[in-house]
Amino acid sequence: MTPDNASYTTAAYTLAAIVYLAYVLSLKLRLRRLRARALALEASERPRSERAAGA
Amino acid sequence: MTSGQPSAPYSIPSQRDPLVGVALLGIAAVYVRALAFTPIEARQGAAQKIMYIHATSAFIALYVAFVLMAVASALYLWLKDEKLDRVAESAAEVGLCFTTVVLATGPIWGKTIWGAWWTWDARLTATLFLWFIILAYLLLRGAVEERGRRARYSAVLGILASFLVPFIHLSVYLFRTLHPMPILLKPSAPSLPNEMLVTFLFSFAAFTLLFIALLRLRYRIATLRDYVDDREAERA
Repeated sequence: MTPDNASYTTAAYTLAAIVYLAYVLSLKLRLRRLRARALALEASERPRSERAAGA
Repeated sequence: MTSGQPSAPYSIPSQRDPLVGVALLGIAAVYVRALAFTPIEARQGAAQKIMYIHATSAFIALYVAFVLMAVASALYLWLKDEKLDRVAESAAEVGLCFTTVVLATGPIWGKTIWGAWWTWDARLTATLFLWFIILAYLLLRGAVEERGRRARYSAVLGILASFLVPFIHLSVYLFRTLHPMPILLKPSAPSLPNEMLVTFLFSFAAFTLLFIALLRLRYRIATLRDYVDDREAERA
């Protein structure tokens, strides 16, 4: 007789989805934070290089 | 040591990455096909469907991610190209994510078949050890500040960690173990009915795409981090 264990399958698929989605989210957040730092650096350096060009 | 700065001019990557979205849609399609359109195995019941996420994640973690990590690490030690170090770092982290899924779903499947969540048999124990070693690899990377030294140390650890991969593969032949023998990666033909084999291969393709998308995204993060670190160091 085929055992009734569908709830285990649901649990495993749910757990896998949580792990993968959490990892994707963490990567997206890390990329966003780094992008903000990089853009802030470029923005702060732009006036300096413009001053140097003007001098 | 080579410069950590990406080859100029470096353009800051955009936040959008359609490949990740496509890969997640592929995984969603695997869920639908596996759960709704693939027959239930008579002896194991619906729990056998855990194989479509457990075995594919294990295959990609062991034979793709950690092999890539080892190859990139070895090439880094030879060529000293920081891109290779970033590839190794990215493959290790994405591989750790896939191994986490393997270690989370395996016990659920095991409980239905063996009646126990966990057993200290060779394959399960070696996979758990590999998970800890890769975690240590990533902690090591966070602990060593000097980039060249960090890359060298982690390359050596990454290569050593990869020695567990063939051991894990052969463990079901070398030891008495509860873990089933391979049904696909074996010299004879796969022992799966056609419908299940198609679902498995579809799942394998979708998870491979997810691996590529995550690896690409993680590599971009590593490149951007090195760029920001270099610019900040220049200013200090």
